[in-house]
Amino acid sequence: MNDLAIEMSGVWKIFGVQSAAALIDAQAGASKTDILTRYRCVVGIADASISVRRGEIFCIMGLSGSGKSTLVRHVNRLIEPSAGTIQVLGQDVRALSAAALRALRAERIGMVFQHMALLPHRSVQDNVAYPLELRGTAKATRWHISREKLKLVGLTGYEDRFPKELSGGMQQRVGLARALAADPDILLMDEPFSALDPLIRRQLQDQFMALSLKLGKTTLFITHDLDEAIRLGHRIAIMKDGRIVQTGTPEQIVTQPADEYVRDFVHNISKLGLIFARTVMEPLAKVLAVQFFDVTAAPKASPESNLEDLIDIAAGAQHPVVIQDGGVSVGAITKDRLLIAIKEGK
Amino acid sequence: MSEEVLIREFAGLNAPYYARTFGVIQSSTRQTWTLNVGAMLFGALWAGARGLWFLFYLLVFLDIAALAPVVLALHGRGNPDLSARVQQLEETVAKRRTEAETALAEGNASKSATSTKLADNLQKVADAARADVSVNAAGTTERLVLGLVAFGLARLGLGFAANPIYERRYTVWRATRNLPHGMPLHRIAIASMLTATIYGILLFSMTSTSVPDWLINFPVAKTWYEAVKDWLDAGFVAVYAAGKGFFEGVRNLIRILVDSLEGGLVKTPWPVVALVICTAAWQLAGWRTAVFTAAALAYLGLFGFWELSMQTVALLGAASILCILLGIPLGVWFARSRTAFHVAQPVLDFMQTMPAFVYLIPVIAFFGTGKPPGIIATLIFGMPPVIRLTTLGLRGVPEDVKEAARAYGATEWQVLTGVELPLALPSIMTGINQTILMCLSMVVIASLIGAQGLGSVVLQSLQYAAKGQGLLAGLAILLCAMVIDRIVQGSFRKRD
Repeated sequence: MNDLAIEMSGVWKIFGVQSAAALIDAQAGASKTDILTRYRCVVGIADASISVRRGEIFCIMGLSGSGKSTLVRHVNRLIEPSAGTIQVLGQDVRALSAAALRALRAERIGMVFQHMALLPHRSVQDNVAYPLELRGTAKATRWHISREKLKLVGLTGYEDRFPKELSGGMQQRVGLARALAADPDILLMDEPFSALDPLIRRQLQDQFMALSLKLGKTTLFITHDLDEAIRLGHRIAIMKDGRIVQTGTPEQIVTQPADEYVRDFVHNISKLGLIFARTVMEPLAKVLAVQFFDVTAAPKASPESNLEDLIDIAAGAQHPVVIQDGGVSVGAITKDRLLIAIKEGK
Repeated sequence: MSEEVLIREFAGLNAPYYARTFGVIQSSTRQTWTLNVGAMLFGALWAGARGLWFLFYLLVFLDIAALAPVVLALHGRGNPDLSARVQQLEETVAKRRTEAETALAEGNASKSATSTKLADNLQKVADAARADVSVNAAGTTERLVLGLVAFGLARLGLGFAANPIYERRYTVWRATRNLPHGMPLHRIAIASMLTATIYGILLFSMTSTSVPDWLINFPVAKTWYEAVKDWLDAGFVAVYAAGKGFFEGVRNLIRILVDSLEGGLVKTPWPVVALVICTAAWQLAGWRTAVFTAAALAYLGLFGFWELSMQTVALLGAASILCILLGIPLGVWFARSRTAFHVAQPVLDFMQTMPAFVYLIPVIAFFGTGKPPGIIATLIFGMPPVIRLTTLGLRGVPEDVKEAARAYGATEWQVLTGVELPLALPSIMTGINQTILMCLSMVVIASLIGAQGLGSVVLQSLQYAAKGQGLLAGLAILLCAMVIDRIVQGSFRKRD
């Protein structure tokens, strides 16, 4: 067993009757429009590779039609890939028998959907217990676990309501509780907060982050909102037209966009939280040479402080900010330097 | 693309003219008056060549309506059929009058009176027909002028309407691009050929003195008809012989079902049955329905329809149970398989639109007469709603809910029973309700082949013109239907 929870490499998905022939052409480099006109096939995923470490929150970001929802459905094989390998928790998903695949879906993977996809004719409690019921768990156990998970998402007391009696945000928390019911190793979240209004979305993001810190589940999180991806993701993959354009940490994506497309995306993102003292600071000696000051009286910050923190620290101070790593001064940032960094970061 | 290039592609021939007129139309906020001389001169031919086929047929129809009297007037041949009819009528009148006189001479006063009355009536018809003939003969010139004026006005109207119509077509074509456009040779050829054929045959049949019979009456293939009919007759015999065991088996199964239902309803003392029905109505649909049910049952009992209505309900119950048992699985199948659905769609239409009397024939041929064939005939008519609404309901189940179930490891069977059927239930219940009511509407027709029950009373009343009895029995059927409908609907409404 390695430390990768999900590993996809060279995954292709082509929709259409002549997908087999279209695949060969597409792999040889034919464009999306060529494939569409020649074979009347749609390229859903083109040569996508991702690897998600255990315990990581991995965001896939893309606009509608970029193939992100299609890609996530390959993890539990709700969609059959046209080509490529998919390893989930050390198992080759494509080689699984129908029964083994159902077991994987039921026991190891939980999924949350954009439109909740709750069963309207079942109570909240029975909705949460549905994955357990499918596996033939006894009712008492089911309800016990179900109550536990509802408590986790803060919905104690709503067990016997019906989904339609709950607000959108609460429904999605039921969806999350359901995904957690079987205590899976992996969570697949397909734009779970997109259908909610901004305030509720923010709340649920916070709640989800707290929960994920506590549970440490490997999460593949799909979103069309870059802010959300940056807030939640340890790493982000950006998709366009079925291809993965760039994979990296939020900082890498924002500060080193791979191409024009990503650059356009991150253009309006505030980078203040993603630029750190270590990349901005100058050697202490250089600063001292220009403007001598009392290092002991100067405000201190760590190399991992971001620009927002630095602004707060520098605001009331007389002197440049000294960056210390483990008690050792490693550099300094003058106000001029800070202002330039903020300007670049905007 | 620029407007002009588009109009050139759309109009083909004479594009500059259309570019100009479309410009006039498009830059005005009001109705514009531009005369399209080409359209005015060529009429239907213009519309056809431009691909405005609806207009083409309308213009052909107008031309014929306006010009037919003109041709007839010019040709001066009146209406031979009408004159012949007048002559024939007068002959009959004369015959009846002679009959009346003979009868009077023989002393048979009543027969004489009947004949005189008949003769008088016929005389009126003949007079009316003669008036028509004289009007026809007298108005030749007027009709000639009127026809020509109508034709001219129609063409003038077309001349002014052509450009706005064509411009509207252009607007639609711009967006869809799948409409006929331009004026290609093949379309000109088709339009010319159609025009020549239609006008040619009409002109020939109106003016020629020796029109061949096949041009007036569709040539009948009598021998083909006989052959196919005989083949079908033989087919019925062969199918029955081959499937005798099957047909008997089905017949017996249905008989067992209906007999046991009827045994329960008819042999059980009426107070028990009435009590059970009323309390069930109360529990399922509330006290209002229970009161209505009690009143309806009282009517059935007091007017002596109790046993007959119980027979009807047994028949209906058996038919409905079979409809549901067969219909829901079929509905599920059609929801899952697109091919099966496409094959089934016309069959279901056929089952519902085919007059019941027509399929009574094969039902009798295979299952004989009595209750089981009555139920089979009812099935054919009653099953489509439950099938259709099951399919509709299943199709309407949101894809993401099904996907969620699959994502949690559900088997296809678990998806069907745990997600699809429960979510489709409202639709399925509507289907069941419709099926029950449609089955009930078949009981009168089913009684034609000996299915008994209230239907047979209505049938009897029809045969003997027993108005009171027929109405009372009809009301009994109506009450049965209403009670069932109220209970089913009410129980469903109470649920949510």
